[in-house]
Amino acid sequence: MPNTTPWIESLREPTLVTADAEIADATLAASGDATAFERLYRAHVARIHSLARRMIDADEADDVTQDIFVRAWEKLSTFRAESAFGTWLHRLAVNVILARRKTVGISRQRHDAREDVLDTVGARPVTPDLGVDFEGAMAALPEKAKQVFVLHDVEGYTHEEIATMLDIVPGTSKSQLHHARMALRRHLGA
Amino acid sequence: MDRWTEKLSEYLDETLPAGERAALEAHLTTCAECRETLDELRRVVDRARGLDDRQPSKDLWSGIATRIGSKAVVSIDRARVPARAARRLSFSVPQALAAGIALMIVSSGAVWLSLRGNGSIQPPADTSRSIDMPAAWHQVDSSVDPVVANLRSTLQHNRAQLNDSTVRILEKNLAIIDSAIAEARRALDADPNNNYLNHHLADVVRRRADLLRRVSTLGART
Repeated sequence: MPNTTPWIESLREPTLVTADAEIADATLAASGDATAFERLYRAHVARIHSLARRMIDADEADDVTQDIFVRAWEKLSTFRAESAFGTWLHRLAVNVILARRKTVGISRQRHDAREDVLDTVGARPVTPDLGVDFEGAMAALPEKAKQVFVLHDVEGYTHEEIATMLDIVPGTSKSQLHHARMALRRHLGA
Repeated sequence: MDRWTEKLSEYLDETLPAGERAALEAHLTTCAECRETLDELRRVVDRARGLDDRQPSKDLWSGIATRIGSKAVVSIDRARVPARAARRLSFSVPQALAAGIALMIVSSGAVWLSLRGNGSIQPPADTSRSIDMPAAWHQVDSSVDPVVANLRSTLQHNRAQLNDSTVRILEKNLAIIDSAIAEARRALDADPNNNYLNHHLADVVRRRADLLRRVSTLGART
């Protein structure tokens, strides 16, 4: 059993210490220190890339992730440490992703929010790797339903926040979420 | 599928108005299909919350570094750090603290020099952008104050369990850290727009965080 003392335990404040270090790195980066910014990149790239992959096509996720970090670099001076750096970065990432969707003007079939599209999502065969299959099913959701599902159930935003982000009413967000969940339940396996 | 099905997600999220919630709960006692659907929706939510983040399949930093005009394209990816370099982090607790304090002393000295020189010390040469620092340092320091206070309190309480020399080093180092932080705060109060001071204090705080993290790791091994 490790011979640790309470004062050593008191140092184990990973959240606090990490947040402190990240605010420091954000400040260094804001002054032009790219090495500090790379530390922030390393710490957050998995989460940001996963967000991009889930909200946009997987083959666009790399480009979008790079766009997000470049935008973050440009906006670092606006970070005020009122929240954790990760929270600030995540919100910026959502904004970049949603703006990209508007700019690109996606006109794919997945934009179609008809019920039969949702049914198609649910009809896909279940693979042995349920985690991958579940993400695959998420990717096949209609655009708005996918965005609402990712933002609410994966990322934890409220319907009110999502409504603001997507320029819809909260009731629409709730409805899209329910349809997405109903489609995805068929990918839970037997 | 009935009219209640549309309400199941809101019920699950506990956002259904009280009256509808009570009515739905009454319905669930008699409808096996809705109970099954509710269970499936709950599992969907659990699955979504349990998704793991994954690294991109290729490293994206070099492209970002190029776009931000960084000279620091050389990666700090720990996976590429030679094993011999990684082993250099294997300090004892007193060694780690002493190393950290050495940094603090150097740091506080640099602050002092900066003040003495009326800001004549310029920002690092590789600072490529005009500085526009987040006004976050007072918040940073205050966020760490509880950790430092807790450390001091528990150190006093548990000093009998520790080696005398370790306690002396810890107490000395704590005093120096306090002094360095206080000095840096005073420096910024006197000259809040001093680029060098802002940059320097950011570096000191980051080094302190690194030190705390390192000591924490070492503590786990003792």
